[in-house]
Amino acid sequence: MKNITRNKIYFYIVLSICIAASVLFVQNNDSFYERTIAKVKEVQIVHTEKTTDIYDNEDRLYEQRITAEITNGKAKGQEIRITNQYSKSKAYDNEIQSGQKLFVSIKDEGADNLSGDILDLKRDHYILLTGWIFILILLFVGKKQGLFSIISLIINAVLLSYSLDVYLKNPEISLLLIGSAAVILFTVTSLLLANGFNEKTYAAIIATLAATFLSLLITYLVIWLTGGKGLRYEELQFITRPYKMVFLAGLFIGSLGAVMDVAITMSSTLFSLYEKNNSIPVQALKRSGMEVGKDIMGTMTNILFFAYISGSLPMLILYIKNDSPLGFSLSMNLSLELARALAGGIGIVITIPIGLFTAIYFITRKRAQI
Amino acid sequence: MNTTLVLAAILFLLMTLIGGKKGARSFFAIFLNFGVIIFVLFFMNDPNINPIAVTIIACAFIGCINLFFINEVNIKTITAFMASIITTVILIAFIVIMAEKAMIQGFGEEEIEELSIFSLYIGIDFVKVAASVVIMSTIGAITDAAMAISSPMREIHYHHPDISRKDLFQAGIGIGKDILGTSTNTLFFAFFGGYLALLIWFKDLSYSPGEIINSKIFSGEMITIFCAGIGVTMVIPITSWITAMYLVKIGNSAE
Repeated sequence: MKNITRNKIYFYIVLSICIAASVLFVQNNDSFYERTIAKVKEVQIVHTEKTTDIYDNEDRLYEQRITAEITNGKAKGQEIRITNQYSKSKAYDNEIQSGQKLFVSIKDEGADNLSGDILDLKRDHYILLTGWIFILILLFVGKKQGLFSIISLIINAVLLSYSLDVYLKNPEISLLLIGSAAVILFTVTSLLLANGFNEKTYAAIIATLAATFLSLLITYLVIWLTGGKGLRYEELQFITRPYKMVFLAGLFIGSLGAVMDVAITMSSTLFSLYEKNNSIPVQALKRSGMEVGKDIMGTMTNILFFAYISGSLPMLILYIKNDSPLGFSLSMNLSLELARALAGGIGIVITIPIGLFTAIYFITRKRAQI
Repeated sequence: MNTTLVLAAILFLLMTLIGGKKGARSFFAIFLNFGVIIFVLFFMNDPNINPIAVTIIACAFIGCINLFFINEVNIKTITAFMASIITTVILIAFIVIMAEKAMIQGFGEEEIEELSIFSLYIGIDFVKVAASVVIMSTIGAITDAAMAISSPMREIHYHHPDISRKDLFQAGIGIGKDILGTSTNTLFFAFFGGYLALLIWFKDLSYSPGEIINSKIFSGEMITIFCAGIGVTMVIPITSWITAMYLVKIGNSAE
């Protein structure tokens, strides 16, 4: 008992050192950046003006004069003057505040007073801050399980990044093939980490993989048979590679978490029923399993629905405010997201019977061994 | 045939086949939720209405659909509903601050080229819209986690009516710990899948790590993921607490 508390104290000490060190680092890491960074010292609004665009949208434009001090590179310590324009709606501009750090380009080298333009904002410390708050809340609520979920998330992120590297270096291998290999690894590591090495986990792994591949097959067939009609691939953003493959692979990975969730819920329920009563008839297991499945299918499909659809809101607002018809804006911006959410829903729903039967298979096998 | 329609038809078929009446209701709930999103869109287009207020009201409607419509109005769904709303309100305060500080609103430089035909000065506060987007992406997962905790807590209270408030709360946290890993995982993969094209883009155009981390789009997505994780974690103690308060108080007054 004493040992456990001592380990805990060590753990918290190491954790607080990590937090302090990382926060200190991102606040003073300017010299590690190649791009020039400047810290804003003074901001003055020099001009404001009301605008009305051709669609009668009213907005306000502001012009700021910024004095900042360069904090890295050759010109370190020198002052730089920047003008910045922003609008009240801030769709593609920012209101700069003093104390903020900016990436800047230096225009007028040599002169006493440098001037420049804003390239981007330094946002790394905000990511770090939210990341730490997330980790701390996860540890506070979940304790050990919280730690395991953090580890599993980190492993999955690294795996994803690594498999993308493999794909980019070997473009002749299909993204779907690499995605499939990654999906198998994701499933095995996440479920084993969360639930340990036991039959319950093995049943969930098999169910997850079977359901994911089956749902991918269904989606692929539907897209193939309908010729992808109604899918506005042109609105798929950030495309540097064959877009259909990228879309399918994203769809595949996106539903995986939800499918895993359903699969482990099904197998834990059935195994806990079996453990409470070793002679429970298969019919009773089936009935209870289906009841649980009915309960979770609605909320699970809605998780994916909201996670995908909500991201399109800013773009939809922009379309509609620019007088695009509602139907056109929706079909342009939501067709792919809806397809993703529906395909994920199909994956979730077929996991219920698949998870039920794999769990029953493992239970009857276990029974036969005894 | 339209691909989306065929997928929807298959989903409907599978849901009614496997879930019966409840399955059909769950499918219909997706449609209702879609309706809520259209309403949100409609109200957000009015510059005089605060998007945050719209979002909180929308979340209440979504909570009603996901909890009361798919299931029914009972103690389990009422406590889950209250917990979801409280979590949403706390989370949205945090997100508004983060979105304002990190300036992740609107569109990134990677997107701006294709938007050149649009007028960007439309008078809508995009910082608040960004905060709304983060909350709306998480609301499904928040109601799901709340329901997953309040429902077994009700069972525990039913089987052990004499359980103390503290023990019931602890039981709720215990259930929460078990679902924590899978709910964060569900969200993470959903977002990873959605951002796959973006990740390939960054790698293909050989962005340096510093450029990726500080870019508006990537940091926006990271903050969304973290806030979603904070939301589904925070709902665990809140649901456990409300359900424990509610159930044990009712038990005492009945005696």
